[in-house]
Amino acid sequence: MGYLGKKLITLIMTLFLVSAAAFLAFQIIPGDVVTSILGTEATPEREEQLREELGLNDPPVVRYFHWLGGLLRGDLGISYRYSKNMNERMPVSELIGDKLPVTLWLAALSIVLIIVISLPLGVLWAKSRSRAVDAALGVATQTAMAVPSFFLGILVTYCFGIVLKLFTPGRYVSYRQSFSGFLGYLMFPALSIAIPKIAMTARFLRNSMLTELGADYVRTACGKGCSDRRIMYGHVLRNALMPVVTFLGMIVSETVAGSIVIEQVFGLPGIGRLLISSVSSRDFPVVEILILYITFAVILVYFLVDILYRVIDPRISEK
Amino acid sequence: MTAQATGKWNKYVTAGLIMTGTAVLLGLLAFFWTPCSTTAMSLSEKFKAPSLSHLFGTDNFGRDIFSRVMKGMGTTITISVLVVLLSATVGILLGALTGYFGGVVDEIVMRVTDAVNGFPSILLALVAVSVLGSGRQNLILSLGIVFSPSYIRIVRSEYLRLRDADYIKRARLMGVGKCRILFVHILPNILPVFWVSVMIGLNNAILAESGMSYLGIGVQPPNASLGNMLSDAQGYLQTAPWCALAPGLAIVWIVLGFSLFSEGIRRLGE
Amino acid sequence: MIRIENLSVAFDGPEVVKNVSLEIKDGEILGVVGESGSGKSVTALTLMGLSARTARVTSGRILYDDVTLLEAGKPRDKALYRRYQGARMSMVFQEPMTSLNPTQRVGRQVEETLRLHTKLTAQERREKVLETFRSVGLKDEETVYRSYPHQLSGGMRQRVMIAMAVILHPGLLVADEPTTALDVTVQSQIISLLGEINKKQKNAMLFITHDLNLARRLCSRVAVMKDGCIVEIGETEQIFEHPVQEYTKQLIEAVPSRLKERKSDAEPRENGRGRTAPVVEVRDLSVYYQEGSNSLFGRRKRRCVVKGADFALYAGESLGLVGESGCGKTTLSRAVLGMIRDIDGSVVHNTPRPQMIFQDPYGSLNPTKTVGWLLQEPLRARGAIDASLALSKEEMEEAAYNMLRRVGLEDFYFHRRPSQLSGGQRQRVSIAQALITNPGFIVADEPVSALDVTVQAQIMELLRNFQQEMKLACLFISHDIHVVYKMCDRIMVMKDGRIIESGDTQEIFASPREEYTRQLLNGF
Repeated sequence: MGYLGKKLITLIMTLFLVSAAAFLAFQIIPGDVVTSILGTEATPEREEQLREELGLNDPPVVRYFHWLGGLLRGDLGISYRYSKNMNERMPVSELIGDKLPVTLWLAALSIVLIIVISLPLGVLWAKSRSRAVDAALGVATQTAMAVPSFFLGILVTYCFGIVLKLFTPGRYVSYRQSFSGFLGYLMFPALSIAIPKIAMTARFLRNSMLTELGADYVRTACGKGCSDRRIMYGHVLRNALMPVVTFLGMIVSETVAGSIVIEQVFGLPGIGRLLISSVSSRDFPVVEILILYITFAVILVYFLVDILYRVIDPRISEK
Repeated sequence: MTAQATGKWNKYVTAGLIMTGTAVLLGLLAFFWTPCSTTAMSLSEKFKAPSLSHLFGTDNFGRDIFSRVMKGMGTTITISVLVVLLSATVGILLGALTGYFGGVVDEIVMRVTDAVNGFPSILLALVAVSVLGSGRQNLILSLGIVFSPSYIRIVRSEYLRLRDADYIKRARLMGVGKCRILFVHILPNILPVFWVSVMIGLNNAILAESGMSYLGIGVQPPNASLGNMLSDAQGYLQTAPWCALAPGLAIVWIVLGFSLFSEGIRRLGE
Repeated sequence: MIRIENLSVAFDGPEVVKNVSLEIKDGEILGVVGESGSGKSVTALTLMGLSARTARVTSGRILYDDVTLLEAGKPRDKALYRRYQGARMSMVFQEPMTSLNPTQRVGRQVEETLRLHTKLTAQERREKVLETFRSVGLKDEETVYRSYPHQLSGGMRQRVMIAMAVILHPGLLVADEPTTALDVTVQSQIISLLGEINKKQKNAMLFITHDLNLARRLCSRVAVMKDGCIVEIGETEQIFEHPVQEYTKQLIEAVPSRLKERKSDAEPRENGRGRTAPVVEVRDLSVYYQEGSNSLFGRRKRRCVVKGADFALYAGESLGLVGESGCGKTTLSRAVLGMIRDIDGSVVHNTPRPQMIFQDPYGSLNPTKTVGWLLQEPLRARGAIDASLALSKEEMEEAAYNMLRRVGLEDFYFHRRPSQLSGGQRQRVSIAQALITNPGFIVADEPVSALDVTVQAQIMELLRNFQQEMKLACLFISHDIHVVYKMCDRIMVMKDGRIIESGDTQEIFASPREEYTRQLLNGF
């Protein structure tokens, strides 16, 4: 399929551009990396040695392609900050390795929560004829959308952790120890990420359904003798869900961002926390790789959404 | 576009105005006066629960939380307004030019904004801060850069739509100058849409600023900001939950106020 | 037989349908004509049980063969209606595109009617749908069955809608402006189809339209509605030949028809286009359009939309440009005004700044400005370009007030905004704005198509007067043959980007040379 090929090429192009931007952006930053690692007291010999070790003597473009070549071979570079032992610096791949599953599971869990709760909620809201329900859901979702995820995380910690004692804040269970314990702990950060997004998605779906209910074809269906139920599930729902698919793509990419902050709140050893600490300590090789990772995830999501959209909307797939 | 112009005041606008109004007033007031000092520490006053003398209680250094929340609101709102001012100005200029004239510049700007728009803003802000370094000016600049693409897109799509409106075609036929068409004929027509996006942008800026400060890469202590207050308070959640509640609720208050206000404005427009 | 007795309907405010009584016998087509807001559509929707949730029936009742479907004071019996809707009564709507579900194959949508009302098997249902498709003139019915609405043309979609409506041979068929969104030639086919169906199925048909010519052609009886009331009702010929009520007379009078006489205001010309120089001269004009993906990488295709147009326009003359949608008439007019640059051939203007009047009265005035500001803007623009023509503030205001009066609007409209004006008033302001700089040549693109018949007549009158006073040359674009007949001295017929025929209005109407022109004219 020509379209798919084209999209794939764009995807790869984007990744290439982002990698270049991510790498080169950190080369123009003022300040010498070597001095910042060793401090101002180091001997020139030691500095030169480190420079050689980190490959900083080549021009940026050469280093970029060197780095890119490494990436393609699976060599993600070495961290400026972390050391394996006295003589060896930490490879970025090892640093990321066991943190990635934490973030991925957190995101997956959040997305499942968002979809499973928001879609039925949106449909029920659209169907509800009661003014009270309508107003209550309106206020509730507006408020939920106004709560920043980290504050929500703190509230969840307080309510479920400290008051109800459903989990012990700060006592993270590794997936290597116990997978069910891991998921149980992850449930609460996932909930903190999901609540505002559930509110947004439910609102979006409800509005989309109300728009569709006002469409001319609904009147036609009515004129055929369709029952309200049949109109809702046979005609309106599918059409109303189409824009929601695109919206969910955006929500998923924001979930990634949400996890960066939420990992901090719940003390989860995921890549979000690594990213923050690397940004604060200016550990650029790690930051570059993480940006590339997240970019890849986001682009992939949009790619999948695009394909899904083409599958469900006959108007587009025809072109 | 004011609410009076269409003559249909609604309760969203009222609620939004009251909420944002109090927040802005308290925040501005904090630049000149707060009930107690926001920095003076007093160990004897440590972790006092909310009372009449300390409305929201005191924190781990015995500082008055109400005063610090006022100060924090002032900081957060000022930074967010500056961020929106910066990104909206860039948005109007670039959006108007690319939307109306199109061409290669438009192509490039659109590719870039499309790419940037797909990404979560906090991630981009993180990257920007890590390139520019932390601190107040850099935070404003970073968030300004990060938020511009959404304004460019909105303004551009409005200009693109109105460029072919019949009344703009007629203005061209009359021989009205390009600059006048851009800013006298078209601009007033996009303002309703633009104001709503400014409101949403303010919200996003507030959330992003407090998020960054929470993560320790925005406003630095000892300066009070709602984000870093929350981050400090998290350590004492068990003993002094009010330390976290006050700044958190302050953020919710401001954001909810702005979103109710923009919802009201949007409904007025319909 | 359908009886509507003393029906009144109100939404939140006052009644929009007042005490309407109608009777439709089996095999009869009753036309309801009226301008927008006359309550004709609300009546039909109420009859069908499809009116909005906020609509309240305040008096009267609706009877279908002695069964009371609806009665004032009682809530609508949805279950009862559902048994009738689709099976015994059905409706064809104005917009065939939006009236079909865009994401369902049309075969399935038609089949749904059978699924709801019959116990046929899947195979039988399919057969019956295909058979009905054939009977409403859809060729290649298998393909149509599998198509989505956007893959069909407007005419085909409307045929699908009709198939859906008549598949169970309902006793009542309501058609609400079924041809308004269609091209003239297609319009004519759909009208014939409805007539045939009525003859064959002997059902009662309610035909709602704003177009008096259509009602006259199709209906056996006609009811005229205004402001929610029935003004007059009777046999079609009776109503059209001997209208009793003043409003009916006005309405019929306002309809442009070629049965009425017309007068020309153009300067008499000797030996064809003799002494005076033309205002606009178009020589061998071809216009191109870029299409295809609008990106850096995508390759663009250059398509020729207008081919070799060749004509001239003289002072005081009005030249009609007719053709169906997509024939290139709007593109041609834009090119003549210099709004499209990608052309071959030449356009020579002998006037400085030709102006344009658009179809949509809602889109052609900047909604954020006042009428006064709008009227002065052309003068300001002219002054900015040529300082010798710059006027003082007072002079401009004076000129604007003058123009306002000349288009028949009172002084207080000066401070109004477009949103506070009616469609007709807006079109007056548009005309004023276009003519305030005395341009000498204007293009009018369907200037009256969006207006009600009586307003239409006033605007046409206004335009003709201006043409006479200002010796204005006018390129008049319209799909409505009757309007063109009334307004224009000469006519050009366009098809697929070419001008296939041109000549004096009288001549073309009397003896069209091309078959296509004849079809266009015989649409009615």
